[in-house]
Amino acid sequence: MFSHEMKEKIKQFAKEQAPYYLEEAEMTYMEKLRRKTGETKSKLMAKFAKFKSRSETAMEAENDMILYMSDYMKDLMEQGLSEQEAFERAKEELKFRSETTKSADLQERIVAHYHHMDIADYEAIGLFYGAFVFLGLSIGALVGFIGSGGWEMFLSGGWIRTLIGAIVGFLIGTGLGLLSNAIIVLKRKK
Amino acid sequence: MDNLSEMLKGILEGIVLEIISRGEIYGYEITKKLHALGFQGIAEATVYALLLRLEKNKLVHITKKPSDMGPPRKFYTLNERGFEELAAFWAKWDFLSERIHLLRTNGGEKNV
Repeated sequence: MFSHEMKEKIKQFAKEQAPYYLEEAEMTYMEKLRRKTGETKSKLMAKFAKFKSRSETAMEAENDMILYMSDYMKDLMEQGLSEQEAFERAKEELKFRSETTKSADLQERIVAHYHHMDIADYEAIGLFYGAFVFLGLSIGALVGFIGSGGWEMFLSGGWIRTLIGAIVGFLIGTGLGLLSNAIIVLKRKK
Repeated sequence: MDNLSEMLKGILEGIVLEIISRGEIYGYEITKKLHALGFQGIAEATVYALLLRLEKNKLVHITKKPSDMGPPRKFYTLNERGFEELAAFWAKWDFLSERIHLLRTNGGEKNV
């Protein structure tokens, strides 16, 4: 029914897609690893080629997909589509919707993040920000105030320097707050 | 009917179990039966994934027969566990449809 080339294409598609449909529980360790790492798949495969990496279940799922896809394509061809058109349509219909996996992975990461989150760290970060901003504001404003000539000069233009000092102090304080945040995050990573 | 997929999500397994219970059948044949029943909107991938799940949950008995594509074709029949699951599905369906009917006709009041 199908050309040799088309049979190979169907096999290749099934080989790529069928594993995604298998639930995690059915996959071998290598299959799970492969699915998780996507981009490094080829490297991993080369590295671990000596280990059995495809379970019998995965190969069965692949065969099931070959037959299922072929049946679907035959159906489409009976409706008037060419072999190539039928293949393209079947490919589109049977392609694993990876959004499910992506969202599951994202959910896993969010759960892990909140699971490992230490409230004390976040409290410390907030206090650092607050402290540095207050200190920066106070020191900046004070330096600006004194530097501009004190109270006598404040009302006749010195207030601008005080204001500039306060703004610069605020920015320095925020910067130091960010720095303390980064230090805490890096410490947590170790 | 359009946009049935969301509603079908919870009951498609029961529908497919019922189809399989009627006699030995292979994967794409189930899809064709579903289409013939009017469930045109069901994606081909959904049925394929569902069959993998039925197999994984050991609800079906599988007989492999030679095919012209190379790999053997799987024919599905329900096993004992599959029949139990199907009975449970219909029990749930009866409960649900009765309540929905009640809601629709009497606003949920039994003795009106």
